[in-house]
Amino acid sequence: MNCVFSKRNLMLLALGAIIALMAACAPAVAPTTAPPTAAPAQPTAAPAQPTAAPAQPTAVPAQPTSAPSTGSKVISIAYTQEPNNLSPLYTNQWFTANLFDLFLANALITFNDKNEPLPWIAQEIPSIENGGISADGKVITFKLRDDVKWSDGVPLTADDYVFTWQMVMSDKNTVTSRDPFDSVVDKVEATDPHTLVVTFKEPYAPWMTTIFSRVNSSVALPKHILEPVFQKDGTLDNAEWNRAPTVGVGPFLFKEWETGSHLTFQANPDFWMGKPKADQIFFRIVPDDAAQLAAIKAGDVDVGVFISPSDVPELEKLGTVDIAKVQSGYKESWYFNMSADEATKGHPALQDANVRRAIVMAVDRDKIDQELLYGLTKPALTFWDGMAQADPNIEPIKYDPEGAKKLLDDAGWKVGADGIREKDGEKLKLRYLTTTREVRKNTQAIVQQAWKAVGIDADLVTHPSDVFFNSFGDKGPVATGQYDVAQWSNSPKFPDPDTVDWLCSEIPSEANPPGNNWEFICDKDLDALFQQQARTVDAKARTELFFQIQKMIADKVYWVSIWDDPDLWTISKKLTDVKFSGATPFWNAYQWDKTQ
Amino acid sequence: MGRYIIRRLLQAIPLLFLISIIVFVLIMNMGDPLVSFAGRNGQVKGKDRERLIRQLGLDQPLYMQYIVWLIGNDWMKIDVNGDGTPDTPGERRGVLRGDLGTSVVTKQPVLKMIGDRLPNTLLLMFTAEIVIIVFALLLGILSAVGQYSWYDNLFTGLSFVGFSMPVPLLALGLIYIFGVYLKRAGLPYFPTVGMFEPSVGKTPEQVLWHMALPIATLSIISIAAYSRFIRSNMLEVSSQDYMRTARSKGLSERLILFKHALKNAALPIVTLIGLDLGFLLAGALVTETIFSWPGMGRLFYDHAVKSDLPVLMGILMLISVSVVFFQIVTDVTYTFLDPRIRYH
Repeated sequence: MNCVFSKRNLMLLALGAIIALMAACAPAVAPTTAPPTAAPAQPTAAPAQPTAAPAQPTAVPAQPTSAPSTGSKVISIAYTQEPNNLSPLYTNQWFTANLFDLFLANALITFNDKNEPLPWIAQEIPSIENGGISADGKVITFKLRDDVKWSDGVPLTADDYVFTWQMVMSDKNTVTSRDPFDSVVDKVEATDPHTLVVTFKEPYAPWMTTIFSRVNSSVALPKHILEPVFQKDGTLDNAEWNRAPTVGVGPFLFKEWETGSHLTFQANPDFWMGKPKADQIFFRIVPDDAAQLAAIKAGDVDVGVFISPSDVPELEKLGTVDIAKVQSGYKESWYFNMSADEATKGHPALQDANVRRAIVMAVDRDKIDQELLYGLTKPALTFWDGMAQADPNIEPIKYDPEGAKKLLDDAGWKVGADGIREKDGEKLKLRYLTTTREVRKNTQAIVQQAWKAVGIDADLVTHPSDVFFNSFGDKGPVATGQYDVAQWSNSPKFPDPDTVDWLCSEIPSEANPPGNNWEFICDKDLDALFQQQARTVDAKARTELFFQIQKMIADKVYWVSIWDDPDLWTISKKLTDVKFSGATPFWNAYQWDKTQ
Repeated sequence: MGRYIIRRLLQAIPLLFLISIIVFVLIMNMGDPLVSFAGRNGQVKGKDRERLIRQLGLDQPLYMQYIVWLIGNDWMKIDVNGDGTPDTPGERRGVLRGDLGTSVVTKQPVLKMIGDRLPNTLLLMFTAEIVIIVFALLLGILSAVGQYSWYDNLFTGLSFVGFSMPVPLLALGLIYIFGVYLKRAGLPYFPTVGMFEPSVGKTPEQVLWHMALPIATLSIISIAAYSRFIRSNMLEVSSQDYMRTARSKGLSERLILFKHALKNAALPIVTLIGLDLGFLLAGALVTETIFSWPGMGRLFYDHAVKSDLPVLMGILMLISVSVVFFQIVTDVTYTFLDPRIRYH
């Protein structure tokens, strides 16, 4: 996604060039001074292999070690990124987290293809009504299924979850993230082998995607395998299980990973919902998008991932694949710099909600989606589209250039001699920032024309995405407020609506460099609603609060979507029952089937 | 000669140190070292960021991090829980004691990761190099012998096309012709990506079959360039006095060609190949990426975008050592090819 000639890639080139140069500078004909005769101290590469082979139990289920016979059903999936490792402790990577639904499918709750929650290892979804959530909202009790076993026959119990929490919190492990266990969780206990009790410091509503969930990769580790390793090594950082999770729980079990090439997962005949229909899932690492496209066309892979919208018309013509549009929460959006602070200041006109509305009304967003995204998507109504909490009654802002002109006139921004509006000597010229992605640059060009027609001037700026998304601390152009309107794609916590991006406390500054509120919005009413929803454990009351939030954001034009940004997959017509969820794509892998 | 080789090896040591320092500093300035810990859209933030920076030792000054990389930290205590007191003994032994470190991303020893990839790269690159040398010599000599003949003109034309071909275009062109269209037409075809078919397994036949297109991609451009080079060297040599002498002695054309012309024309070619050999370990990023070949080029790139210092340092130092080594080998080879060159 990064531009090919980003700063980093230039660095790499420079590195290569330096090595070549320095090596070439070694004199071809040596000077004649008498050399010392000592043997060269070449670093003798005695491999420092950690000898910590974890004490694996011997009862790994019988897996065929040879290649599957030709009659077996192998589903091959193209993966454009290779997993970092296979431990939920050590990666948040989307490509890896999906795999947990195959071999480590022990999230308490999962999400179906409509992104609705389903009880998974939890027997039912805890609520105040069924007594699973205490009246004060601080204690959640999960009753776990008692028929689930690890692939070596050891039962999955509440102790595995407690152990996982301890490992996440241990200073000995360099885990990817402790969020939210370090901030909101007081303790995690197993009151009996199949009862898990989580106690929070405050009432905590967004637990479904964060507490032993697949969505934030907090699924449970096998205590009986990893506790001895932790005791022996003092850390799980070097456990072999991280790369070769030979003991798992789920419809498919880890079989093999050849780095850079492929990963295979073999059907688990003892899966608690019955033996999966496919025999093997094969992930082929295909880092190049164009090569992936060729492989899809040749039928060399059954499933393709992150398809570009521009390839969709051609793929549809093939007739051999279906295109799956999966709602994943991401929305391509406009953000307005609302900062009035001198260092991060946005254009003063943006303080006026009517000006923001006019900026949006001037642009035909449906046409952009039609032309640039082949009509595959349209503007999202709310930041929470695709979730149960989305308010379907929000009125979209319609394309209306005349209305936009009127709003701007009324706000005092009058057309000047050069056709650009101005007020009190200040021109209505907006710095419009986005990343170097082609579709974004094209959007910029269309918007610039549309704005010009109503008297708004645009200064188009693009940055490679690694620069664009830098934090305030790393001098990112957006995070430091060097923009008026910015375009990028973002998502709430999906499919749980919790969102922190518009809290006043998230505004980035010298005192808070990692702050997420790059729009510098600080609306006390909005802030209070966001704070309140996070503590409202009653689902219905929480949805009510979200309806208020969405109305406020729409009325005040704090955020506008240019297009909803679904994940596009290709699925071979040979496959049946592949129903990707935006939150947990492979949730129903046990049902996938392949016709020959 | 022995003394010369030893001297060259000794000279390589400060050179490698210098390379390691420059590369280390460059990598450390190359973006967010925690980027691989981030999720789908963003960065590691807040408390997690502070904790990881401390746990990974990134809060130490740059020279300290280099020293740890070089000689390890098992002789000192480090602060892992953030209470301000270093109380846990370090566990790294440093490069000089054979510990290339552990990848930040995969948590695997770097040596193991390189060991996993190196055979794939060598298989691909050495095979390609052999194909390149054989075909380049063949075409170059043929062209030189039959200067301005129809086949010389043909090779000249083709090599211009081949030489100006961008690698991605060539690779994808081959994939579409041999992998997509031939397959669709029901003809014998080559596979698009990967090392083998999942339904068959990783057999030698499968790997050979899957190697064909990447090797063609790697070879075509180099054959085009090298064959021109060989041709012009051969032509230059064949106008030398000793060639006339050889001819007037009544030697056979074949003997003149291979003993006198080729051996003398080979010197610059050996230099080129010697340089190539050192870099073979580095793999071929674009070709490996397009054909999903699990080689070193991709290992390097994947970990470069994730700012994985131990892996990058490991690969770059390995390549540096290999380049230096093959240059020494090349220089020594000169003495066999050209008796006028002597090292003391």
